[in-house]
Amino acid sequence: MSQPLIQRQLSMSANIVQFCRYLRTKDFRIGPEEEADALRSLAFIPIGDQETFRLALKSLLARSRMQQEQFDAHFDRYWKELEKAVNAKKEDKADGSAKRSANKKSKQESFQALKSWLYGKGKEDEEEGAIASYSAKEVLTKKDFSAMTDDELRLVMRLLQQIARSIIRKKSRLPKPSKLKKQLDLKRTMRYNLRRGSSIQRFLFSEKKDKKLKLVLLCDVSKSMDLYSRFLIHFIYAFQNAYDRIDTFVFSTALHQVSDILREYEFTRAFEIISERIPHWSGGTKIGQCLTDFIADHAHGLLDKNTIVIILSDGWDTGEPAILATAMQQLQKAAGRLIWLNPLAGSPGYQAEVTGMKTALPFLDVFASAHNVESLQKIVPLLRKGRSRLSR
Amino acid sequence: MPKELSAIEGMLNEQGYIANRSIAMSIFLAMRLGKPLLVEGPAGVGKTEIAKVMAKALDTRLIRLQCYEGLDATHALYEWNYQHQLLYLKMEEGKATTSTALQENIFSDTFLLKRPILEAITQDKSPVLLIDEIDRADEEFESFLLEVLSDWQVTIPEIGTITSKHKPYVIITGNRVRELSEALRRRCLYLWVEYPDFDKELAIVQGKVPGIDPQLSIQICKFMQELRQMKLEKAPGVAETIDWAAALASLHFTHLDKEIVEDTLGVVLKDWQDIRHVQDSLSELFDKVGVTKRF
Repeated sequence: MSQPLIQRQLSMSANIVQFCRYLRTKDFRIGPEEEADALRSLAFIPIGDQETFRLALKSLLARSRMQQEQFDAHFDRYWKELEKAVNAKKEDKADGSAKRSANKKSKQESFQALKSWLYGKGKEDEEEGAIASYSAKEVLTKKDFSAMTDDELRLVMRLLQQIARSIIRKKSRLPKPSKLKKQLDLKRTMRYNLRRGSSIQRFLFSEKKDKKLKLVLLCDVSKSMDLYSRFLIHFIYAFQNAYDRIDTFVFSTALHQVSDILREYEFTRAFEIISERIPHWSGGTKIGQCLTDFIADHAHGLLDKNTIVIILSDGWDTGEPAILATAMQQLQKAAGRLIWLNPLAGSPGYQAEVTGMKTALPFLDVFASAHNVESLQKIVPLLRKGRSRLSR
Repeated sequence: MPKELSAIEGMLNEQGYIANRSIAMSIFLAMRLGKPLLVEGPAGVGKTEIAKVMAKALDTRLIRLQCYEGLDATHALYEWNYQHQLLYLKMEEGKATTSTALQENIFSDTFLLKRPILEAITQDKSPVLLIDEIDRADEEFESFLLEVLSDWQVTIPEIGTITSKHKPYVIITGNRVRELSEALRRRCLYLWVEYPDFDKELAIVQGKVPGIDPQLSIQICKFMQELRQMKLEKAPGVAETIDWAAALASLHFTHLDKEIVEDTLGVVLKDWQDIRHVQDSLSELFDKVGVTKRF
């Protein structure tokens, strides 16, 4: 029979173990080792002083900024619940068994809910696995982002990260031996010559380490595009270890660099901050002007031949086409590869009829859509190194 | 509050580090449980300082491993001094040394360059090992580090396995350039350091810049607290506060005014857009800080 999660415990150590279990349901990853640490710390922490006790458990059990912020609330909640459980037990004794079973039942019900929630989550995870292996759930991968419900969006966000993770190829840090004479490898030279006596017969070389790619994202966040931008940024950041650096800019009527916010905060929070800071405008995106600003203020430091520039926009430009054309030309020159993703391009029969899009097309290396999971999967190879400049 | 805990707090204070209780608690537990302490927080809140102060307070060596992209095991553990080995080989040429003897000579302590981790393991007294900005190193390095942190031994094929006699106190810092692996987090105790509140910052400034006018230090700290409320690209840290206070104190100012702030804003803010932004809202800031304008 399943037990309610929070029960009266007789010893301090049992309480701590139970508290750890409680935290686990709150997405704290706590293993036996952490539990052991917490128990060991009892030996030198006075448990009479609640404040010290709380601080000690906090430093032992909270393993990220978010968890540290949440910890106090969980701590208070737990001991309050525990008190209730203790009181309930006392009442039980007084009122006899009838009430006890009722009480137990309600507790059991709430535990059932929790369990089914846990179970449900487990099932969801399985589903994700299935999608990540590209086999099932075709529907979801083909569904347009803008047509999804909140739950589906969350699911897809996680799915995107999984796909990204499975795609990144691990690279070895060890220098590869090479006959192309690039860099003297003293370590191998030493070993080679030692085997052949004391004189130095030959030098050995290794390849220079590959420079990683850099990525610059320019995302349109005008109202029609906001959702797609969110996905793309999320998607790209799942790859972040594969790149030397990623710089993210968002624009509607003006350009804003958001790399620092994305780096500093957890993803959802980062977007809240970004949307607080940057006003949305439903119409009137000034793509040309924003790109010109980008070139003037940032291109010098960010762009080189190892940089891929991705622009995500529907191409509705209310500025002068000439400005956009100049900006695009400069970008094409300075960047290693220029990619434009347009979510509208996914719809059947799409033709680049918007002036902005038409102006930009000749300068692009890749023009693709990014309106659903499937299309994002398709752009993955484009984000890798080792391909020559692609023609459209 | 246990004696040892207050002792640590006192120890930190003595060395000029104004710690709050959660910092003291984390250090205390990390030392008692013999676990590394992972410290994260925005730039300039004194993460690295924790290790420095700890080493001073414990009167032991501070060994620092600065992480960077591409850092690998050889830079962290040990390296053979290849240049010297080659020279030695050249010198031995023509002499009748046997190959084994030669090998023994060449792979001896003389030609071994100890890098921070090996250095930390071979100390006679537990040192403080500071692994700075771990998030700048690659993920592979992180996994390598995990192995070292759990076993505290290094195997050098030519010499054998070296095990530490005195386990170092380890402080790892991160700036959240990238998310650290779950495995590393689990191996460590975690501490998030926030910007200090007004009182703490004031105490820090008055501790670090002894000759400063009290009125000026209060104004500076209030000003910094307000600055951090603004949404800036790069919020100024405590290091900037101290720099600014030291600069203004050495110029013998006793209070802030608009001109001084405008002239010295570059000490505090390191991003030109931020500077422009702050200059625009300077009078508003002054109102909040309570500086009377004298024009």
